[in-house]
Amino acid sequence: MMLDGKIALVTGARGGIGRAIVARFVKEGATVFAADLTPEGSLAAHVEDGSHFVKLDVTHEADAVAAMDRVREEHGRLDILVNAAGIEIEKTIEETSLAEWNRSFAVNVTGTFLTSKYALPLLREAAKLGKSASLINFGSYDGFIADPGLAAYCATKGAVHALTRAMACDHGPEGIRVNAICPGYIDTPMLQSFFNGDGSGGGGGNIETLQKAVRDVHPMRTYGTPEDIANLVNWLASDEARYASGQLWVLDGGLSAQVQQMRL
Amino acid sequence: MRLASKKAFVTGGRQGIGRGIVDAFLAEGADVVTCGRGPKPDDLETEWLTLDVCDPKAVADTIQYLGAFDVLVNNAGVQVEKTVVDSTDADWDLVIDTNARGVFNLCRAAIPHMREGGSIINLGSISGTVADPSMALYNASKAFVHGLTRSIAVDHGPKIRCNAICPGWIETGMLDAGFDLANNPARAKTDAIARHAVRRFGKPADIAAMAVWLASDEAGFATGQLFTIDGGMTAASPLNPGLF
Repeated sequence: MMLDGKIALVTGARGGIGRAIVARFVKEGATVFAADLTPEGSLAAHVEDGSHFVKLDVTHEADAVAAMDRVREEHGRLDILVNAAGIEIEKTIEETSLAEWNRSFAVNVTGTFLTSKYALPLLREAAKLGKSASLINFGSYDGFIADPGLAAYCATKGAVHALTRAMACDHGPEGIRVNAICPGYIDTPMLQSFFNGDGSGGGGGNIETLQKAVRDVHPMRTYGTPEDIANLVNWLASDEARYASGQLWVLDGGLSAQVQQMRL
Repeated sequence: MRLASKKAFVTGGRQGIGRGIVDAFLAEGADVVTCGRGPKPDDLETEWLTLDVCDPKAVADTIQYLGAFDVLVNNAGVQVEKTVVDSTDADWDLVIDTNARGVFNLCRAAIPHMREGGSIINLGSISGTVADPSMALYNASKAFVHGLTRSIAVDHGPKIRCNAICPGWIETGMLDAGFDLANNPARAKTDAIARHAVRRFGKPADIAAMAVWLASDEAGFATGQLFTIDGGMTAASPLNPGLF
């Protein structure tokens, strides 16, 4: 039980990775607020996992305020915030409309900003109890190295990386650690959408060939699972990571350790 | 007990970060063997081998003796506080033989003997990416470790995972040796702490906590990466206007 007694809020909690994080946090003894647009999120089924659902559109300031008000009323503090809400537009910039560009930044960057902004007073309360509070953002391997046809997505993740370092500098002295996890290819609905794209991921419709090619280019010969990501989120959320701050944690099965280009 | 049934070999386990990793692995149920150039420390309650990692023959013999194992931690390292111009041939031999060739010796000998799913953890450094002044050979040796780490991950996955931990400023004898170079060591320490987002130096246990995670099966998708644990120091610009 690495998170026994901790209070956590996870955005994008009903997405592929968010769901695994919520399940892990509950298993580790945390009280978990699972924040998303709907109880089902982007996946079909709602799962009873012991968490408390919070309706939160991360692009709406009033939603962020209301979510944190609820956490304050019930617990008076927040030990862990995970900003896992994110969207991906599979287009080059020429194909991307202004509305799509703005939507990408609204969810991935402004959402991280708003949720963090209103969580900080509660994280500060947790830090006053002597243990460091932990804020975990979702960057991406794509914030370092571009995938084709994901221009706006890559740009938003680069912004999250810079914001992560800035928040670590500003709020470290208050006892708040800030890190970002940068996943590579993880088996989620978002990845399936990328595989099914009309050439943006290079798939050309043959998903089996594409999936095999993607697996084979990884030194670990597989893409990751949401649980692989939850394993590191759990560690960063725990007091074991008390000296870890300001870092971008790439978890990609060795993919970006190579110079090799993806030949899809 | 996250490392139960795992056998680990940690180099340089006498003191500092290496000792912290040995203690953490033991606490998590691992079977741990460690080594160093001198005799066994009195307070160490696990197997100790006398080994100079610079000696390829001795390293190969040690790996043969160990048999199959799961986790290799290449922690043994030395530092010489000099610029390139001041460094002697003896300094080169000392630093590069230990920090670069030593890691190579261990990895080359160990990989064929490691079990499927094994984890190699090298100790890199923030100094391998951003230079500490007057630490030329040490900085360069750690950049070598970073490159070798990626190569092993790429060449020997999926059988073996290989990552490096890059500690920042950790409270060890090495850190004090660095501050002894300052004109005013006490003031230098105060300034250095102010440059850390978490407002303290690290402890060996902070690094050991990451080593436990990387050694465990939880890190099954983590390979080829450099994991920095530095209290937020390198997230900030070296030019920190708040300190003027």
